[in-house]
Order: sequence, then C-alpha cells, then structure tokens
Amino acid sequence: MDAALPLRGTRVAERGTCHHCGEALTADAVRDGDRAFCCNGCAAASTWIREAALGDYYRLRTSPAGRVQGDAADFGAWDRDVVLAEHSRIVPGGREITVLTDAMRCAACAWLIDRALRRQPGVLDAGANAVTGRVMVAWDPQRVALSTLMQRLAALGYRPWLATGEAREQAQRSERRRWLLRLGVAGLGAIQAMMFAEALYLDTAQQMPVATRDFFRWITFLVATPVVFYSGWPFLEGMWRELRGRRVGMDTLIAGSTLLAYIASLAETLRGGAHVWYDAAVMFVLLLLVARMFEQRARGIASAQVDALARARPALALRERSDGSVEQVPVGEIDVGDVLCVAAGEAVPADGMLLDHAASFDEALITGESTPVRRGAGDSALAGSICREASARLRVQRTGADTRLSQLTRLVEQAQSARPQLARAAERVAGFFVVALLLCAAATYAWWRVHDPARAVEVTLALLVVSCPCALSLAIPTVLTTAHGALARIGVLGVREDALSTLARVDRVVLDKTGTLSDGRPELDHVATFDGMDADTAVSIAAALERGSAHPLAQALAHVEDGRIAHGVRAVAACGIQGDVDGSHWRLGRAEFAASRTDDGALWLGDGTRAFARFTVRETMRDGAREAVAALRDCGVAVELCSGDAGEAVAAFARQVGIETFHARQTPEQKLARVRDAQARGEVVAMVGDGLNDAPVLAGADVSLAMAQGAALAQRAADFVVTSPSLLRVPQAIVLARRTQRIVRQNLAWALGYNVLAIPLAATGHVTPWIAALGMAGSSLLVTLNALRLSRREPGQRRAA
Amino acid sequence: MNILLLLVPISLVLLGIAIGAFVWAVRRGQFDDLDTPAIDILRDDPLPAPRNDPADEARDVD
Repeated sequence: MDAALPLRGTRVAERGTCHHCGEALTADAVRDGDRAFCCNGCAAASTWIREAALGDYYRLRTSPAGRVQGDAADFGAWDRDVVLAEHSRIVPGGREITVLTDAMRCAACAWLIDRALRRQPGVLDAGANAVTGRVMVAWDPQRVALSTLMQRLAALGYRPWLATGEAREQAQRSERRRWLLRLGVAGLGAIQAMMFAEALYLDTAQQMPVATRDFFRWITFLVATPVVFYSGWPFLEGMWRELRGRRVGMDTLIAGSTLLAYIASLAETLRGGAHVWYDAAVMFVLLLLVARMFEQRARGIASAQVDALARARPALALRERSDGSVEQVPVGEIDVGDVLCVAAGEAVPADGMLLDHAASFDEALITGESTPVRRGAGDSALAGSICREASARLRVQRTGADTRLSQLTRLVEQAQSARPQLARAAERVAGFFVVALLLCAAATYAWWRVHDPARAVEVTLALLVVSCPCALSLAIPTVLTTAHGALARIGVLGVREDALSTLARVDRVVLDKTGTLSDGRPELDHVATFDGMDADTAVSIAAALERGSAHPLAQALAHVEDGRIAHGVRAVAACGIQGDVDGSHWRLGRAEFAASRTDDGALWLGDGTRAFARFTVRETMRDGAREAVAALRDCGVAVELCSGDAGEAVAAFARQVGIETFHARQTPEQKLARVRDAQARGEVVAMVGDGLNDAPVLAGADVSLAMAQGAALAQRAADFVVTSPSLLRVPQAIVLARRTQRIVRQNLAWALGYNVLAIPLAATGHVTPWIAALGMAGSSLLVTLNALRLSRREPGQRRAA
Repeated sequence: MNILLLLVPISLVLLGIAIGAFVWAVRRGQFDDLDTPAIDILRDDPLPAPRNDPADEARDVD
C-alpha cells in the first residue's frame, strides 16, 4: 500500500513538524536554531515564550498548541466604552473582564496564559480555566489598554472572544460557588451533628443524666439548623414552588421529611421526649445535595458547547452613515435597515441582504457546511457566517435575538436544559410514589396514634425517610452522567441526552464513506506525465500552485516542497487554480480547464491547452475502520455503507474494510430514504457521518454520530460527536450504551425492591429513624457506586483502546 | 461529665473555623479550577518581562 505513496511519509519525516503547534512544515517554514516553525506567528509566539522564561510550557503541555494566526486581529474596538460597559465590571483599581478562547487544549495552556498576562504591566490579576475555556483578566485601564492584552493573547495563539456578557458569566460563577458552599456547610455540619447524635444513641441503657442529654440535644439542634435551612434551601424553595403549582414532587417529599424530622425533634427536645431525629434530617440534606451536585456538573460541561455559538457573533459592526462614511457601533445598536460593511475574514453581525456584489460566506458554524457558499447581490447573509475573499455590504434584515444564529443558540440551549426522557419518566413515577407514600405515612401515623401514641411520630418518620425515593431519583441521573463522562473520555460527546438509550438499541449502522470510513485526507495515488515532464517536477509545480489553497486536494500535496514558488495564483470557481511557476503559466484542476480535455474526475496539470500531468488522488482508510466494522458486527449490528461517490471507489473501499452491503452514488435524499426503509422494517438505525453533507440523514436516523474533525458545529444534527479520529469509538460507544441501559435497569430494580421491602418493615415499627437514614443512604450509595462502574474500562475495551 | 461543657464548645468553635475557612476558600475562587493549579506549582520564579513583543514582530514581518 505504501509503495504507491512515495511522497507521503518520507518527505514529511525530513521536514518534521512545527515546534509550537505540531503542524506539518511547509516550504516557508521558519527556522530558529534547531527548532522549526510553520509560520511567523508560531515562531514569534515561541520566541516570546522562551524569552519570558516560560519554556516549561513545552514540557508541561500534553497536547500541541493551536496554530498562531499571523494576521493579528485588531482589538482596538474593545477599548471602547460601550464594550467595556457591557462586558467588563469595575473592580478595585481597574476593571475585570472574562473572555472565551477556543484554543486552550490542556492545563499547560492555562498556565501559560496566566503567566503571560500577569507579566504585562498594568495587569492586576489574571486567571485561565482550561476546562471552561475562559480567561479572566483584571487590569488598570490607566496603565494598559485591554486591546494590548488581547493582542498578547492572540499573539500566543489564543484568540479571545467576548463572552455573552459579564453579568451572565458572573451569575454562573456565583451559582456554582453557592452550591459548593451549601454542600460544604452540609458536609461539615452533618458530620458534627452525627457525632453528637451518636453520643445519644450510645446511651442504650438510658443512663445519661437528663441534663447532659438535653445539652447534647440542644447542641445538635444548633448544628442541624443551618444545615436544614441554608444547605437545604433549594429543597425548601422547590417544595414551595411545587405546592404553589399544586403538585407534589420530589422536593416536597425531601423538604417535607426534612422539616418533619427537624420540627418533631425540636418538639421532643422542648418537652423532653424520648427521641430526637436531627441526624436523619442532616444526613438527608447532605446526601441529596451531593446527588444534585452531580447533575449540576453535567450541565455545566454541556453548557460549554453553547459558547461556540456565542463566540460567532462579533461585538462590533461597521455601520455606514448616510453620507457614506463608516462608524463603528456595538452590535446591540444595529437596527433593521442599517447598512453594514463586513471586511473579509470578519463575522457577519446580523442577518441581512447583500448589496452591490456577490460574496462568499463560510457558514460552517450555522449549517455545518465547511466550504464557503457563494451569495449574489440580493441574497441574504446570515449572522455568524464569516465573510471570505472580499468585503461585503449588506442591509440589515434581522438583528439580535431574531437572527438564525440566536435561534440556533436557543435550540442548543433548549436541548441541553431538557432532561432526558428516562429521567423525566423516573421523576413522574417518583411523583406518584410520593403521593402514595404520603397517604401511606398518614395511615401509618393514624394507626400508631391509636395503638401506641408514643411511637407514632418515630415510626412515621422512619417510614418517610427509609422509603424516600432518592435512590430512585439518583438511579438514572448518576448513571447517565457517568456514562457521558466515560464516553467523553474515549472521545465521544453526547449532544442529546436521550440518544444514549437509543444507541443501546441500535441494530443497523449506516456509514458514510468520505470523512467517516476514510479520514477525509486525500493522498496522491498515481502521477501520469506527458510531454517529457517528469513526475517530481509535475508534483512540485502542482504543490506550489495549491499551497495555501483550502482545496481538499491541496492537502494531498501539502507536504511536497522543493522551493518552487507560484505567483499570481488565482482560484477559478468550480474549475481549479492558475498561476505562474518558474516563469510559465500553469493551470491545475479539472481536465477541460487545465488541458482542454473531457473531465474524468482526475486532477490535471496543464497550460490551458496542453496536458502535462494527471494526478489521481485517493482516500486513506481511517484508523481502525476495519476493526471497527468487525467490532460492530460482533455486537450483532448490521453494517451498511452509503456513499455519494462512484461505484468502483465505493466497492473497493467496502471490500477493504469488510462491508458487504454498500450503495454508491447516493444523494442525501436517497440515503435518507434508505434509513427510512430500515426504520419501517422496525430496525433502529444509527448513522455515522462527517456531518457535512449528510446532515439531513444524520437528523433522520434514530441516532446519529458525527466524526468531528474540524467542522465546528456540524454536529448540530448529530446526537453524538466523535472527537477521536478512530472509528473504533463507535462500537465502543454502543457497548457502553448497552452497559448503561443494563445498569439503569439494575438501579431501578434495586431502588424499587428496596422500597418494597423497607416500607412494610418501617410501617410496622421495626425500623428506627437512624437505621432508616442509614438504609436510605446505603441504598443511594449502592446505586451511585453501581453507576460508577461505568467509568471503569472493561478488559475488552482497554485492549481495543 | 463536666469536661463536656468545655469540649463540646471547643468542637463547635472548630466547626465554625472550618466552615469559615471553607467559605473564604470558595469566595476566593479556590475551587473554580481544579486542573491548572496542579501544574502551577511546578515553576514559579519571578522573571523579568521579555524585551521584544511577538505582536510587534508579527507586524514587522507582515
């Protein structure tokens, strides 16, 4: 296989990769001693890092940095008062702002940003968080401009973007801190309360003097109060909401039992009764808070995905005044009907109609299509798309929340805030359960009141605590959170939570070819030359022409280098490119354009009339494609290949990876029809694509996985995004989804079984409240630990990974 | 059992201190990022700011 590829490998090895960003080096590599860089941007960043004695960054990092964009963006607009007022806040000595950056890959990046910013004069404080991709800077506007700091970030390769607004950032942070405080208070308080309660429990022979006993009870009361009312506030608040909405839910039961335990204990303390149950109240609050924290954390990670959309909208726009001059205004001030100018490479600030002339826009973030789309005058351009090639003028049609981009953002947010169906079902069941339980508790109380009034409160409390469906409510969220965590670790991100249960039931996987089975990176397969041209020269001329082009075939030649430089390179849409190399004019592209021949799908090099070389390009198989297909079959899943490419290529590819069923020359509609057919037969179909041209198919399948390389939000239509380059992650994800279903079932069975067993015991007075709390805690713990088994790798998986 | 009258308040004071310390730590953002600080300690010598600026350099080249 390698024999046909004399170019790849050997030459790359000679030239190596960029010291800073790890990209393959090209001709114009910058050398500095024994280190080489792909561009001036990377070289400058690396030099600065070294001179700032932050060279440890290269030692600490676990993944290479992003490529530094040479054309440093202008952040001058960020110094304007409107921007500062909206996005930053005043702190003692200056202002503070939180910006987003997508280039932070590991903790070392955060370390570097931290050091680099703090070293700037005028910076009061700086902190970067690699997990959330946020950089916080506090600076003194008198001494340093914000744009200078942002320039520094951009020069290191971390292009900053304005976050959705300081207020929201602040709110998120304080929300997180508040939860942490509640948990901390609950934890510390509960431990103390349990210790005092233990002293009371150990007095089994009732030998403790009444004064000592009451002293302990009052102390426990003191410690339990903040736990119940401060830490347990979310539950009390939830109960209040539920009661006002005239429904009974989990919060009512939780807050109700906590309050019952607390108030009954207080009453017993006051009248010197036989028992107090402060310990049950605090344990309850603590354990449930831990469960809620789990859920919150999962949400927090998911919300990071929304940031990508937030980044797309620029903060400022260029508005044309009536006299033709241009002014810079914040996006919020744009009105429908304004005329905006958008420079090449900038994002469109609002949906609008193109004026003057056609322009092309990169709508990758909105539609997932990575190739720029051409729009003529009168067509509409979407906010968030990037203007390519030339600048454009447009008349604003929709602004702010009405733009497609904002709608999209809302959709993603909605999908993320929606609780998975499974969890909702469990909540509904729990709701019924709560009502039944309250009735049961009332009946129990009434019965005991008649037969043994002294134990009535105690037994009722035990019943409420022991049967609290928190194991039931924990059963599913913890499993899902752990499963998503485990998936994320192998490089599969769940975008829609419901999808996991569908994935477990999959019995047919439809694979796309380009970008899915193949790695989407074409390789030079065969070079034929004519007219005395030798292959090496042809390849080097072609490489010179293609250099810097975004054409996918250019990637096949990107590593070829021997010093030829092309001048006046111009792209001709749908044909190819032309330019001068070594004094003569060349054309590279389709046969009729380059060499006046009929198109045969190959890439031709010529001068417009004569042909000199013909290149065929082929795709290489993605890592582990063959193994992945075999593994899928081992799971009992049927595998099918659907591709838009020509027959032989698809057949050859299918043979190579071991797929028997394949369909060539499929339009997205046909692919979709095929999926629908299978669904009509009662099969659950998973579609694996690259998310670019198969978005409708991805949306139509029961569950979809997008191989996400590069394409930013192509994942829009997909339920899962596979960030790992290996296709093996797909069968692994299916196996994990099945294990998840199994563990959910086990957990539900346990939680229900436990309740069925415990309720009669408690109702008949065989369980004291503290045993009940222990049983409830043990049950919850068991359910959580069972869920955590998912994060452990199975032996087979370890081998495969 | 009079010792309890001393020990129990002491434990309450310790509890108060622990909660106070925790509140202080959370408010100061000690728990906001749990990954970066791990490598933060590996290197922290005060060093002079570098002489030249990559942003300027990049501009020169362009």
